[in-house]
Amino acid sequence: MPPHASPSRIITRVQQQPRDEVDQRPLDLALLRRLLGYLKPYRPMRNWLTFLVIIRAIQLPLLAWSTGAVINGPISRGDLHGTILGALGFGLLALLTQVTLCYRQRLGLLIGERVMHDIRMQLFQHILSMPVAFFGRMKLGRIISRMATDVDAVRAGVQDVLFVGCVQGGQSLVSAVLMWWIDWRLFLVVMLMAPIVWWLNHLFQSRISHASRALQESFSRITATLAESVNGIRVTQGFARESVNADLFQELALDHSRFNVAFARASGLFLPLLEFSSQVVSAILIFAGGILVLRDSDPVPIGTLIQFLFLSGIFFSGVQGLGNLYNNAMTAMAGAERVFRLLDMPPDWSDPADARVLPPISGHIECLHLTFGYDPAKPILHDIHVSIHPGQTIALVGHTASGKTTLVNLIAKFYLPSAGDIRIDGIPIRSIASESLHSQMAIIHQQNFLFTGSIADNIRLGRPGASDEAVRDAARRLDCLDILESLPEGLETMVGERGTGISMGQRQLVCFVRALLADPRILILDEATSSIDTVTEVRIQKALSELFKGRTCLVIAHRLSTVRNADLVLVMDRGRIIESGNHLELLARRGTYSNLYRQFVRLGLGGTRPQM
Amino acid sequence: MKSAPSTATADSLSNTQLVLRLLRLTWLFRSGCVKVMILQIGLLVFGLSGLSLTGLGIDYLRSVLDPASPRPHWPLSLPPPASWPPVAGLSVIAAGILLLAGIRAILNYKYSVLFSILLQQQVVVHLRSIVFKKLQSLSFRFFDDNASGSIINRVTGDVQSTRLFIDGVIMQGLIMLLSLGVYLIYMISLNAKLTLLCLSTTPLLWLMTSIFANRLRPAYKQNRTLVDNMIRWLSETVQGIHVVKGFAREPELTRRFADASREVRDQKQWIVAQTSFFSPLIAFITQINIVILLAYGGYLVIRGELPLGAGLVVFAGLLQQFSGQVANIANLANSFQESLAAARRVFDILDAPVEIESRSDAISLPAIRGAVTFQNAWFAYNPDTWVLQDVSFDVKPGQRVAIVGTAGSGKSTLISLVPRFYDPQKGCIRIDGHDLKNVNVNDLRRSVGIVFQESFLFSNTVAENIAFGKPGATMEEIRRAAKIACADEFIRRLRNGYETLLYEGGADLSGGQRQRLAIARALLLDPAILMMDDPTAAVDPQTEHEILEAMESAMRGRTTFIVAQRASTLQKADLVLVLDHGRILQAGTHDALMAVRGPYQRMVSLQAADKESLQALSAPPTVPPTSTHAKGGL
Repeated sequence: MPPHASPSRIITRVQQQPRDEVDQRPLDLALLRRLLGYLKPYRPMRNWLTFLVIIRAIQLPLLAWSTGAVINGPISRGDLHGTILGALGFGLLALLTQVTLCYRQRLGLLIGERVMHDIRMQLFQHILSMPVAFFGRMKLGRIISRMATDVDAVRAGVQDVLFVGCVQGGQSLVSAVLMWWIDWRLFLVVMLMAPIVWWLNHLFQSRISHASRALQESFSRITATLAESVNGIRVTQGFARESVNADLFQELALDHSRFNVAFARASGLFLPLLEFSSQVVSAILIFAGGILVLRDSDPVPIGTLIQFLFLSGIFFSGVQGLGNLYNNAMTAMAGAERVFRLLDMPPDWSDPADARVLPPISGHIECLHLTFGYDPAKPILHDIHVSIHPGQTIALVGHTASGKTTLVNLIAKFYLPSAGDIRIDGIPIRSIASESLHSQMAIIHQQNFLFTGSIADNIRLGRPGASDEAVRDAARRLDCLDILESLPEGLETMVGERGTGISMGQRQLVCFVRALLADPRILILDEATSSIDTVTEVRIQKALSELFKGRTCLVIAHRLSTVRNADLVLVMDRGRIIESGNHLELLARRGTYSNLYRQFVRLGLGGTRPQM
Repeated sequence: MKSAPSTATADSLSNTQLVLRLLRLTWLFRSGCVKVMILQIGLLVFGLSGLSLTGLGIDYLRSVLDPASPRPHWPLSLPPPASWPPVAGLSVIAAGILLLAGIRAILNYKYSVLFSILLQQQVVVHLRSIVFKKLQSLSFRFFDDNASGSIINRVTGDVQSTRLFIDGVIMQGLIMLLSLGVYLIYMISLNAKLTLLCLSTTPLLWLMTSIFANRLRPAYKQNRTLVDNMIRWLSETVQGIHVVKGFAREPELTRRFADASREVRDQKQWIVAQTSFFSPLIAFITQINIVILLAYGGYLVIRGELPLGAGLVVFAGLLQQFSGQVANIANLANSFQESLAAARRVFDILDAPVEIESRSDAISLPAIRGAVTFQNAWFAYNPDTWVLQDVSFDVKPGQRVAIVGTAGSGKSTLISLVPRFYDPQKGCIRIDGHDLKNVNVNDLRRSVGIVFQESFLFSNTVAENIAFGKPGATMEEIRRAAKIACADEFIRRLRNGYETLLYEGGADLSGGQRQRLAIARALLLDPAILMMDDPTAAVDPQTEHEILEAMESAMRGRTTFIVAQRASTLQKADLVLVLDHGRILQAGTHDALMAVRGPYQRMVSLQAADKESLQALSAPPTVPPTSTHAKGGL
């Protein structure tokens, strides 16, 4: 028996995210006003829409009323001519109603789509303006759900809640007025049912939305398990665990189906109850109405009863609709609130208004008593003080989490120093316009990212508009054109998210070529060669030194072979530079570096460099 | 690069075959379907009775008020006793309506719960389980050829759409036929001519709804693609934010996103134009029915040929239900299309050949010694590009094989042939003298421990991950494996030690930690053969040193295949294979290969300490090491 306590074994445990994101929010006038603000650019459209909404709210009850009127009037009187006229009148009114519907729908949906596009663009631009630190805090899934789910909730808020809600509220109001006008006593009887219908609706809507939330959570367990099972198929098969996983999945699927059934129970109770309550309305109408009709003094005409049967239908469908919308509205409010919260989130920092656009730089970098912590209370870099001359190649060496990556990220102005300063060509980094710095800088990471598109497209990201020849030339200068051309479609091979389809090493080469094409003054390599195998590294070693030539280069490498030729090696430990000097100096010093180097070459193993 | 085998099976299934298979699937769940149908019939009967009672109520009132008006038709021709006051009659009718509505509500509830249990708890669970089971045993080729999103969708969305055949097509079709028939008979019994006239618009209604659906379906599909495309730009921008900001490419990505978003908007506007034209049109057609009903039905009422309540009002109700069902026909057709398309994708998986499977007469190999022989093995993922060409070598039990080569030279592929993740097209691979194809696959894989280049961990506890290959492993075994992999120490320091849940497959662990867990996982099975696909590629020298040191003891007594870069590893190998474009360029021991001038020698020399460095290391220290620096000295 496995001693570790896991009551039921499962393939993937989905971690329940702490629920800081509410699904619903009460109506909030300020939020609503802000939402309405998005309609301003489309003012004529909005005004027409408002007009049509009012018209439609009147037309619907009128239509029901006219049906009753024809039955009561000409038909009960036996007036054939009047009946046909009445029927035609009804037809005409129906046509008008549908034309109104056509335009109301069209305008409502159009406005919704346009507003959605506007908000999406606003969000995207806002997200892009955020400094890199933001992306470390904010999960990708969150950002996507703002852009997709929440923006859609806002659209639904504008379209359904605002316009459809007005129509439904209006139709209930107008039919109520009509019923009151026809017979107020009978109307009071009908009104008795209204709060019950509304309450039923409200109660079940919230029950259904609870059940559906639980269902979604359960479904996310299914998809997460599936995703890991597919991505981890090599592990599963490699460890011959197929049948164990299949049994576990069956249990999970069965468990999930319970949520499905629970959802069906909630909604299965709701719809029949609604229907039942509308039947109750008919029954009450016939009973109470019947008594009023049969009364000796001041009887209600039977036609009134028929009118009420039609009008109460319209009345209650409006009431029910409002009940549904109330729920949608609260969801929309929560979505809108999240979208606005993101839009209102100020960047931690942004370039000052008078930021200097860097002239072409020589690549002189100075770190002046630089201190930094992602959390200011926990500094990661302490008092880094170093000057890097134009054209120098600097190697940063040290254990994981010694602060190497943090230091280059600061030099790239992805973060701002907590204390101290960095100067590029003598200009304080805070006063430099980030874009002008980045356009003279190239960074290659270990986790290199390729965008969907061809390899050539990705290389061209370094210099948009570069010709095919320039792209090939850059690859040739890095001595890897043949490797890239040997891919199925050569430089036109498509790579997907995360560059599937080509190996990690090949991906890395693309990033090198991209950087070379950009022709930066400052080049940063963050563990960039680690996923390139040694044989390829041998090949591109020379080319790399070509790439380094004439630029200021910062190289973080755990392959010390890369470090061998650096002008300056900085050995970092827990956020401090503990040794600096060139390779031979540091070896002679017998400090941390020489130990690292010993581990690396396993002293005496390789012997002297063979003559070549 | 979509390869033929996975799609060929699906294409060969004709629609008829598909429908037959789906019918067989439905037959499996026949008793549930029958129960659901019986409930549906009950619903129909009680619904109609309720409607006719309402009509009766109106007629009863009229007859009480105006004795000249036609007598109401009482059900079963049983009028209430003449002595009853009208209020009593009315109460009976109202109570009848309520009673029927109550029964209907209960039936309706039962119906939806029963239906959901049938569909979700039986059909969907059945389908999901068999599809998942099959998926797990499909060869890697299938996973290489299909995007993971599409595979996931087959178990989630496609299974639901396949289920649609049972409820959306078969059941819905039967219900529709039944209710349309009953409505029609009822209406004709009321008045045949009126029925015909009112239904004259039905073909038009049906035509419009199907045109509408046919137009919009592809448009909605396209809309989803466009939205996905837009979200992809967003997600890539976020994932590649370092690249975007590093190259100052914000304006370009904003433009691309704006294009994608605008495309979504513009396409949606077309959909909007269509919807806002068609849906009022369809609504209007059903209203024409009411115009006809009012005109002609009114005429009939005036002529006394039709009662007002039980005739006209009931007819209006019936007509509404009827139109609703007709509009459903378009849905039925859609469901049919959708379920066929989805079923094709589901059956595609169920029919996909399991390329790698133990033969029925497979040899059981509980204890493998670990002798591996490649005999002229050729392998290609795609028919005309050989990834491995004529690879031959021989490994004795306990030997260590190191494989080196350029990116894409076939190192990982070579390794994945040993646990039989793929079969070579030509030549053969033997283990302990048996051709792999004759050996029980599970036995084989259990005796091969694998550490991948990018080690995949499941979002589960650390202990569960280590025990992945042996679900019943004791804590003792787990800890032993972790200790050998130098993982025990850091695991203990995690929040909950061995019971710590790994976030998103260990995203919160460092590369070195993940890799050490993967090594522990491979060691738990105490495999005779150990495969390591460059497990130290992504860790710093210190960590690498620890891992390699630990691996030393782990490798002892096992046949080991290791894709490696490091001279120290290579030197200890009994056999070094230098691969280039799928061919073995050089083979031999480290020393033998270093003795000849060639790619191997060049590669190793790059890592070797050069003369100057050696001198610097052996010379007395230039700067007396400070106490902190001196600790690690040799």
